[in-house]
Amino acid sequence: MRVATNAYTDSMLNQFNNLASKQFTLQSEVSSGLSVQAPSDNPTAMQETLDLSAQQSANTQYASNISTLQSRSNVIDGVLQSLNTITSRAGEIATLAGGATNSQTDLNSYADEVNKMITQLVSAANTKDPATGQYLFSGTASNNPGVVTMTDSSGDVTGVQYKGNYEVNQVQIGENQTTSVDVPAFNSSPSGARGLFLDAQSGADLFNHLISLRDNLQSGNVSAITQTDAGNIQKDENNIAYQVANNGVLQNQLTAASNLASSRSTTLNTAISNASSTDLVQTMVQLNQAQTAYQAALQSGSKIMSLSLLDYLK
Amino acid sequence: MLGLFSTLNLASRSLQAQMTGVEVTGQNLANVNTTGYSRQRVHISASPDISTTIGPEGTGATADSIEQVVSNILNSQIQSQNSTSGYWSSQQTALQSAQDALNEFLSGSGATSSTSSTTTDTTSSGLSTQLNKFFSAFSALSASDSDANRQAAVTAAQSLATTFNNINGQFDNVRSSLNSSLNSDVSSANQILTDIAGLNQQIYNAESGGGNANELRDEREQDLENLSQMTSITTSTGTGGSVNVTVGGQALVSGDSLVDSLQTYDAGSGQLLVRTASGGANLTLTGGSMQGTIDARDGTLAGMQSNINNLAGTLITQVNNIQDNGRNPFGGTGNTFFTGSNASDIGVNSVLVNDPQLLQISASVNNGGDTSLALQISQLATASQSALNNQTFTGTYNGTVASLGSALNNANSEVTNQTAVNSMLSTQRGSISGVNVDEEMTNMMTFQRAYEASAQLVTTVNTLLGDTLAMKTE
Repeated sequence: MRVATNAYTDSMLNQFNNLASKQFTLQSEVSSGLSVQAPSDNPTAMQETLDLSAQQSANTQYASNISTLQSRSNVIDGVLQSLNTITSRAGEIATLAGGATNSQTDLNSYADEVNKMITQLVSAANTKDPATGQYLFSGTASNNPGVVTMTDSSGDVTGVQYKGNYEVNQVQIGENQTTSVDVPAFNSSPSGARGLFLDAQSGADLFNHLISLRDNLQSGNVSAITQTDAGNIQKDENNIAYQVANNGVLQNQLTAASNLASSRSTTLNTAISNASSTDLVQTMVQLNQAQTAYQAALQSGSKIMSLSLLDYLK
Repeated sequence: MLGLFSTLNLASRSLQAQMTGVEVTGQNLANVNTTGYSRQRVHISASPDISTTIGPEGTGATADSIEQVVSNILNSQIQSQNSTSGYWSSQQTALQSAQDALNEFLSGSGATSSTSSTTTDTTSSGLSTQLNKFFSAFSALSASDSDANRQAAVTAAQSLATTFNNINGQFDNVRSSLNSSLNSDVSSANQILTDIAGLNQQIYNAESGGGNANELRDEREQDLENLSQMTSITTSTGTGGSVNVTVGGQALVSGDSLVDSLQTYDAGSGQLLVRTASGGANLTLTGGSMQGTIDARDGTLAGMQSNINNLAGTLITQVNNIQDNGRNPFGGTGNTFFTGSNASDIGVNSVLVNDPQLLQISASVNNGGDTSLALQISQLATASQSALNNQTFTGTYNGTVASLGSALNNANSEVTNQTAVNSMLSTQRGSISGVNVDEEMTNMMTFQRAYEASAQLVTTVNTLLGDTLAMKTE
């Protein structure tokens, strides 16, 4: 075939363009580590990567939510431990006071101790969540303090009024998995999350039971203590024990969810990597090939272009 | 018998003919780099002979004509392929701009070793990240109703809204730049059509005397090829060597007159289309950059823009449906969350921006710490929306990104294929019409030697004439 002189230059320019753009693409794949950077590089892989990234983003948020709930659960656990101590001691007092050897002075000193416990309970019921500054045990009415006290002339608590509700916030900790670590202080209904201080399901009513114990101690009504208060306080102890156990279960659930999120994160990262990352070895080999082809084109081009009949016409 | 003087004449005509050959070779060499130049050949033939008693005797040679070496079949193939490549090139440019406007690119933190288990930290840059962040921010808010989380949720919503606004603005820019490219194509095409009509006239004038207007024909062929890049054309040969040009069934150039020209018009809401200027007939263009631009604008780009608008509209409706029916921690209500109705005007209510405490994420009054509505908003991330063909927000968006990617990917490969076809055709045409320097040098030597030989004949005849004259003096 006849070849026009310019056909060399035109075809060389084309080849150089093609090889240069191939090298550019491969080089950018190697340097970024991604085989897909723009949607047009590989639309399917791009869509897959974006879908996986959305899942990864949600998963990261689940992990963060789990961590938020774990901190809150730890705060609640601290309160539960102190309530456990208080209810145990109240049970002890009810048993000790029921003994025959107590003088009224002894009973009064028990009453003082119970009075202090009630004050501690009020403070515990109004614990705030350090993260949000909201009341921890007020259900979802958490900008209200949990309990408001009524006192007599001597400053003793005669009753408490609950300002919260018994609803709890659900938090997403996994795909299709929500949970709540919140505990309402009072739940007078037979359903929903069990109340910490008052709970209709278990019969717990810690404030009133301790107030009754204190009053009976002050009035020396030992038989009421043994017949009523001791049994009631047992219910409170059981309720707190339930809450401690339940918090432990929740913490285990959170740990499991956290492990799941973490392993899912690894899986998703691997999947994203498979969809969009460069196989470095393969890409380097391709880059070498492209470079070799480029060199060959340059060399053969410069050889052919320098050849002309003019060289021989002297 | 010719006689000495006639032989001298023969030598002189031969010198002229060979000189013409050298001139044409020079012309070819001079135009070796001229785009669209077709090589020329001098046609030399033997002059009529004279009958003598001993038989016909030659009278030398004359240069009859200078002709172009062209292939009309290849020329018309190149015109038609030019329309296809013009179509895909303009699609490629338009879709590339759309991809840039969408700004959805992946970036990585570095190469992954294939032997290690570490993975590349891939992040995307566009709306998908903003959507994810938006839903995550509300999920965080549902977990912990702190001031910081409220602020973060509002900020994430603002970023999302701004990204929607930006994408829409960028799409509008792409649209208007496609319209201006259409306008500029139309005005270039009109200029070329005027040139073609003018060249038809000049070629007629030049060739009516019997010659060949080679350079003018090259120029006209170049014009036709440039025009066919912009729109597919049909050509036919008219009288006096003219070329008639028809676009979309409408005759635009007939002989030496420009019958009609092209014009853009607004078919409604800024959608520029092409029609004939005086006839006003809508043109159905079938190829070329004009149709490529129109198809990209009204096809992929318009589809993208409407998807993004639909996405923004659905998001506004769904989020507002939840938030607007809620209560803020103080029991108040009445602040809508998203303002606007589509990607162009979506925004976050300034009241909520100024005071994120007023976000209404409680389901009922007296429930200040209730975050159930934030949970509901965050769960929109995985909820399929009937307004989005039962896909999720991110699913719809990611699908839109992928469809743009496919369209551009397709345009890219079409352009690559078309470049190969065009390059093959131009090599083929080069093999017929292109100048080869080696060949021209060889031709030059041929003519040079022939010229030398004829010059030698002059010398010889001169010597003979001298000898003849010398006979008298002796």
